[in-house]
Amino acid sequence: MAALIATFIFVLVFVAISFHLLHETAAALLGAVAVFLVTYIGGSFVPDLHILSFDDAMTFVDWNVIFLILGMMIFMAVLAETNIFKWMAFQLYRLSKGNTWRLVAGLLLLTAVGSAFLNDVTVVLLLVPLSIQISVAIGIHPFVLVIPEVLISNIGGAATLIGNPPSTIVGSHIGVSFTEYLVNMAPIAVICMLAAMIVNRIQYRKEYKRSAKDVSPVLVEALASDSRIKNRSTLYKALAIAALTFAGFFVADFFDGMPPGVVALSGAVLLVAWVRPEMHKMLREVDWTTLLFFIGLFIVVGGMEKTGAIEWLATRVAIIAGESVKRAALLTTWVAGIASGIVANIPFTVAALPVADFLTETIPQAAESGIIYWGLILGADLGGNATILGSAPNIVALGLLGQAGFRLTFGRFLRDALPVTITTMVLASIWLLIRY
Amino acid sequence: MEIILCATRGGEESISAQYKAIELAKERGARLIFLNVADSSFLDRSAAAIVVDIQEELSKMGEFFLMMAVERAKACGLEAEAVIRAGVFRAELIQATKDLGASMIVLGKPGGGASRLELAGFDAFKEKLGQETGVEVVSL
Repeated sequence: MAALIATFIFVLVFVAISFHLLHETAAALLGAVAVFLVTYIGGSFVPDLHILSFDDAMTFVDWNVIFLILGMMIFMAVLAETNIFKWMAFQLYRLSKGNTWRLVAGLLLLTAVGSAFLNDVTVVLLLVPLSIQISVAIGIHPFVLVIPEVLISNIGGAATLIGNPPSTIVGSHIGVSFTEYLVNMAPIAVICMLAAMIVNRIQYRKEYKRSAKDVSPVLVEALASDSRIKNRSTLYKALAIAALTFAGFFVADFFDGMPPGVVALSGAVLLVAWVRPEMHKMLREVDWTTLLFFIGLFIVVGGMEKTGAIEWLATRVAIIAGESVKRAALLTTWVAGIASGIVANIPFTVAALPVADFLTETIPQAAESGIIYWGLILGADLGGNATILGSAPNIVALGLLGQAGFRLTFGRFLRDALPVTITTMVLASIWLLIRY
Repeated sequence: MEIILCATRGGEESISAQYKAIELAKERGARLIFLNVADSSFLDRSAAAIVVDIQEELSKMGEFFLMMAVERAKACGLEAEAVIRAGVFRAELIQATKDLGASMIVLGKPGGGASRLELAGFDAFKEKLGQETGVEVVSL
């Protein structure tokens, strides 16, 4: 009975998030509250309704994920104020000297690196408005710059433990170190990025030729003035602490397996102590809705796990997968990929994790390589590229383009993104089969 | 002097609306003001971590499009002005019309790929806008 109710609550939350019926955080928190109310009020009349106690719920929240996201948000908030990303993007525009492909390649590289080491949505929020302006100034359609940027941000995010939420959630769950994650996922992320760039080069070849060689000096000046470095002192301090923090990620293993969340938070606190931003302003800039969203989601899925609903589901998946670890890994990758294209990839990943645990425990050889977890990460990160609803950067880019007066339809995004998604998913599958 | 308010962004429909507004302003000897509204309400349902001042980013992008619109008017021999506001588009457009004392609003109609439902929604919005502001609303 409790398992059924927990599943029903999860499905409601999942539908509300995936189809944007409610704010994502409100939906996740409503789900968490429903779990508690059914447990405490329902459970006091009918003991079978006990889903998850408050104390148990706290054990299901992955605090490493929460602190890691919090720490990186503080970094992003400080770095964003220095205008460094726009400055770099404008320098790429200048260096391209009228060669559109060179400009696109540079911007894509910047997006990929930014998304790998910082929050992907923030990178999109900072780079896409400038990319739209550059594309309008040089006379190409903004989709030609923005769609590849969004796709690359999702691919680049798969390269590191801190790049994309599914990477952070799965990486933290299996307790993998930053270096270990990088060794396993960065090579395939780079391969997928190069493949995506080649596909984009073919897709938009006519548009690249169409770009204007003579751009109005007034427009260039406007772009330049919007792309100047602000507050150099803060920038140098932020870069110094960022270097220290990333070094910390690499050596954390030597310090009794220090979790990445502790490293990120230490770096962020050090940065705040050195830069001394206005603390109230700083804390306002941290997006607490994201953190509450994750907490709510962990509790809702925890309810399903505690009541045995996930185990029931995992058993069915294990029957389909059989004894073959490779079949199970491919099944996980493609189910995660297709699901992430249709529904929100974060709740899917949280719910799929216990299933991945079950498969890893029951299928011979799966535990040694962790192939099922890697498949889940690749599927969720790369599959989110298929549709406009697949991941947060896609949705944010859609809104930014709409604000600029360029209507990106579901069909148009699918037409441009599907070739890249299929190519990268196939490459990821081959990688899994060869590497593990 | 009569004031024409042209709500604009950077897309093709907006550019057509800008040229229409320039033409109308020249015909009537009216003052032309381009308006852009930085509306971040598209983020309202997402839990994605937003740690940048999105209003500021949108305003900068809007200023860029306004500058292009003013340049277009100048190329057509008309000195136009530009106003940027932050908030929800519909409310800000109504308020700007009242604040500036505009007698006409020019809008770009949703173009390529817009569904019948969206076009119907636009027509309803245009009618409501006319009723709430009491000014003529031109769209193309």
